[in-house]
Amino acid sequence: MGVLERQFEENVLTTKVDWLLNWCRLSSIWPMTFGLACCAIEMMAVGCAHHDIDRFGAGAFRASPRQADLMIVAGTVNFKMAERIKRLFDQMPSPKYVIAMGACATGGGPYYKYGYTVVKGVDRVVPVDVYVAGCPPRPEALLEGLMKLQEKIQRSSVIRRPARTA
Amino acid sequence: MDFRGIHDRLLAVAAPGLLGHDLPRPSNPADKKDKGRAGDPFVWVEPALLPAFLEVCRDDPRLAFEILVDLSAVDPSKDDPNMWVVVQLLSLSFRHRLAVKCTLPKASAALPTSTPVYRAAQWHERECAEMFGITFSGHPDPRNILLPEDWVGTPLRKDYVFPDEYHGISCK
Repeated sequence: MGVLERQFEENVLTTKVDWLLNWCRLSSIWPMTFGLACCAIEMMAVGCAHHDIDRFGAGAFRASPRQADLMIVAGTVNFKMAERIKRLFDQMPSPKYVIAMGACATGGGPYYKYGYTVVKGVDRVVPVDVYVAGCPPRPEALLEGLMKLQEKIQRSSVIRRPARTA
Repeated sequence: MDFRGIHDRLLAVAAPGLLGHDLPRPSNPADKKDKGRAGDPFVWVEPALLPAFLEVCRDDPRLAFEILVDLSAVDPSKDDPNMWVVVQLLSLSFRHRLAVKCTLPKASAALPTSTPVYRAAQWHERECAEMFGITFSGHPDPRNILLPEDWVGTPLRKDYVFPDEYHGISCK
């Protein structure tokens, strides 16, 4: 939003504008086509007709990070891939969100102790908004994570100043 | 052919570097410490002569091992000064298999490359080299295959020390 971002006091106009902008953002979260391991299979199931992520406006999987709002890190992140993930995240336009899907992306998962090339959580590379537990998570769990992300976006302030916690 | 037949054939053609064989056996009920040995029978081979041995296995018309299924290594214990290289061969013509083992000292683990005999050995040897620190002399492409080029250490060795960080990402 550039110069208008977080410049205004909270009043009925700015809260309504914020509500509208947040509603636009959360209703069209375009994820990036991007899977690292078995969690990606569950992510594909979420995209298919039975679970149908399109109900949440997040069905448009984009093949380019420059068109994507959401990075679902679905799978095991190793050190060789971590630098690529960082680069892809940097290429995404703001506002951008990250879901760490499954045990590996959350904290290394079964590779925590002896996985010599596995990053112990993708949050060591990119900032994570929502963690989804499971190995792999059920498709319903990823949808729950997406709804949590939508709640988080709904709470964010775009043009009004964020409420001060004195 | 079963293992006995293969072993007899290897003796008959005087396969270079053949040191002996090892068969699975049941445990001894009288001796609690004797757990026996499970798994497949295999032959021991002199490491320096492994490519020559594999060449005989491939070219002998009665053996005809056309495929190298796997070439891997084992670090059995931290206290053991030796490690093994294990080769699995398969003959599609005769539908028989053979496991070949070599013993290497960990301090100077070196082996001549088997790539001229089986081209499939090339990537397996690259993996063994980076994971176990084995030097394959004469290898046509001795780069890392799975690990990053600037990786330090040989992860599958028992004495491997985990690094603290890689490119600024904490490993702990």
